[in-house]
This record gives sequence, structure tokens and C-alpha cells, in this order.
Amino acid sequence: MNMAGFLIYLDTASIKRLTPVTKLLSTLTNYRNLMGARKDFTDQSLIHSLRSEANPDEAIRYLYRTQFRLTAAYIKQNSGTEEDAEDIFQELVLMFIEILRKDKFRGESSVSTFLYALTRNIWLNELNRRGKSKRRDEIFEKAKDESDLDVSHLIADRETKLQLMKVVDKLGEPCKKILLAFYFENQAIKEILETLNYENEQVVRNKKYKCLKQLEQMMMAEPDLVKNLKSARYE
Amino acid sequence: MNENSTHTEKLIQYLDGEIQGEELELLKQNLANDQSLREELENLQLARDAARRYGLKSKINDIHSEMMQELKENKPARARVIKMFIQTGLRVAAVVIVLVGLSALYQYFKTSPEKLFSENYQTYTIHEMRGESANSRLQEKYRMGKMDSVILEFNSLSVPKPEEYILAGIAFLENNQPEKAIKTLQELIQKNIDSKTDYFEDDAEYYLAMSYLKNREPEKALPILEKIQADPRHPYNSKLSKWFILKVKSLH
Repeated sequence: MNMAGFLIYLDTASIKRLTPVTKLLSTLTNYRNLMGARKDFTDQSLIHSLRSEANPDEAIRYLYRTQFRLTAAYIKQNSGTEEDAEDIFQELVLMFIEILRKDKFRGESSVSTFLYALTRNIWLNELNRRGKSKRRDEIFEKAKDESDLDVSHLIADRETKLQLMKVVDKLGEPCKKILLAFYFENQAIKEILETLNYENEQVVRNKKYKCLKQLEQMMMAEPDLVKNLKSARYE
Repeated sequence: MNENSTHTEKLIQYLDGEIQGEELELLKQNLANDQSLREELENLQLARDAARRYGLKSKINDIHSEMMQELKENKPARARVIKMFIQTGLRVAAVVIVLVGLSALYQYFKTSPEKLFSENYQTYTIHEMRGESANSRLQEKYRMGKMDSVILEFNSLSVPKPEEYILAGIAFLENNQPEKAIKTLQELIQKNIDSKTDYFEDDAEYYLAMSYLKNREPEKALPILEKIQADPRHPYNSKLSKWFILKVKSLH
């Protein structure tokens, strides 16, 4: 056996020896996947991924795997339902990502603590919206003892944002698709032409223009909303 | 396209970063000088930001559906893992129970009188009687473990003492002469009946039962053993378990 042959033999033997270890690791990985721990993030890497517009999906999934049940438990312990928990959690994730992207998270607590404080504030705000002020006051008094992390200012414009999303929701599907493809997914006009089946690039441009203008006008039809949005921009 | 819509189109192009050079400079000048143009740009920016927020909300909503599915599947998956452990545990326990049962049945059916004799046979220690003179020669031989000599001594005695019957019976038993052991021990029991005494009665009963086992007569051993087991004050009571009695019964 020459040297190359020996090395190949050695390598094959090593792989054979490693097989049980690999199998064990694979089993453990499968078990971890089963248990829902696919990818771990540190607070730092989580923040970095969520700030990134390119692909925050895995970080969002991580938030679900690590935080959803905590949030759901809190909501359900405080007069909420499973459905409330799901709605509030989606809002929590959206709000957290926006806070990160606007550099409003100062890192004075762990992500988990911050999210807990944010959950509490969103839920208190929601109870307030629903007119359950007595229950809200009870939770608020209890919450004061639990944490001194004040995030109430970060959800001050919650009502405005909820209203804004309702306005966008009224936009027709073709307009939503083209605006989201261009402004959210950062697709080029050419890509949109292919994915949404328009005749040519100019038609895409015209459609995008009309849709954005339409959305602007729908928003302008809600003067209080626009006023609040503008004041929030300068805070 | 009217002038307003031309302005709007330019503003959107500006917003999208599609204007450059002189055109960009001109628009910047117009924006600096025209309040309504600045307002429109701001409104368009709000609309663009709203679309972006809506996009992020939609993405989260898509992931939400996927993750709710995963989390719901993981719940039963955990339960499955726990169930699997419990089921495995139960299976192991069932196998152990079956094995123990089989082993008990094996013991029950495979046992023999000789085996039961060996399992339960107790060695006898000579009673130290208060005030009694020195031990007899027979007792001395017994202490020395010389069973042949014990038998010889016993045969030479015209009137053996009650304990000497016991020692001789045991000597016969240990010399593999159970029939003679039975006869000797029965003699003592009969003497006690005749003289209305109960000298070494308990020992005689136990060793007689053991002799019957050794002699492959479990049916004769059983009533004696049951009598001993029914009497909590009998000195050999603690030596006989229910399981042992059951095994003797199985030999019928």
C-alpha cells in the first residue's frame, strides 16, 4: 500500500470508528429538534439577526421556541386566552424588531427580561383598550413589584400602529403584493415583473406608483392617525 | 399625467433612490422651497413605512402559523417521549413480573423433598440444662460431630434421656438413615404421650418432619409442618415460611 492508499485507508477507518459517535450526535440532534431547540442564539446574535432585514426568520423562530410559552402563560394567568396570547406574541415580536431596528433597545436587561416587560405593558394596554381597567390596575400593581424595567414609552404609539395596520389591510391584494415586494422584500422591478406576472417593467412601475399613492391617500383620510404618526417620527 | 402626479412620481423616485445628478439637485431645491412638496414627501414616506411594517407583520404572521404547528406537534412529541418511557418501563416491569412468576412456577414444580430438606434443615445445639451434671458421652460425641459414635452410644443405652433421642435422631438423619431417625423420634413422642410429658417435644416434631422429607414422605411431613406454622410460640415457627409449606404441598 502506497502512502496515498494508506491515508485513504486511515481516513476510512477513522470514519468507521466515528460512526457510533456520529450516530449518537445525530440522535441527540434529532432529540433536540424534537424538543424544539434547533438553533441557539445568544442575546447578542439574536439582536444582530433580528436587526438584519436580510433574513431574521430563524431568529424569529427562536423567539417562538424560547418565549412563546412564557408569554402565553403570563397572558393566560392574567385573564387572557390562548388566542390572546397568540395575537399578543405576534405583536410583541413585531414591536421588538422595530425597537431593535430603531436602536431603542439599550441592553440594560437580557432579551428575555425585556420581552417580559414588553409583554406586560402590551397586555396592560390591551386590557385598557378592552375597558378592563380594574383587572389592568390589579396586574399593574402586581407588576410594579416584579420589575422596575420601564418600557411603557416604547408602546405609547401602539394604538396608532394597530390603526395603521388596519388601514393597510384595506388595500387591495395586488397593491399589497407589489408594495411588499418592493419596499419590504427589496425586490427589483424586474423580479416583481416575473413573480407577479406584469406585462413589462413600466407597468410594474406605474402600478407601484398608484398603489403607494393610494395607500397615502387612505392614510390621509385618517387625520388623527397621520398626526400621531408624524409626531412619533420626531420622538 | 398632470403636474401634481408628475411631482408625486418624482417624489416616489426620490424616495426609492432612483433620481441622480441634476434632477436630484433640482428636486432638493424644490423641496427646500415648497412646503406642500415636503409634506407630500413625508406622507409618501409614511405610506412606504406602513407598507414595510405590514410586510414584517405578514412575515411574522407566516412564521407564527408555522411555529404554532411546530409547538403543538412538540407538545404531543414530549408526551410521546414520556409515554414511550412509561410504556418501556411498564414492559420491563411486566417482563420482570413474568420472569419472577415463571421462576416461582419453576421452583414450585421442580422442587423435591430432598431439596426442601436441605433448604430448611436447622442444625441442633445441645440445650444447657441448669443444674445438670456433666454431659453424657453421647452428648460429647454429638458436640464433636461424630454421628456414628452418637448412634453407637444411643444403641448402648438402656434408658436414653429425651434429648439423647433427639441427638440420635439427628445423627441418623445426618448419616442418611431417615427411617431410623423417624423411628427414634417417634419413640420420644410416644414416650411423652405415655408419660404425659412434653420433653423436647418441639424439637422432636421439627426433626421428625425433616426426617419425613428426607425419606421422601412429604405427605407425612406436611401436617407436622402446618401444626408448627400455626403455632406462633413454637420455637421452629419462624423457620417455616408460607412459601416453604406451599412447596411441600406441591410435592403431594
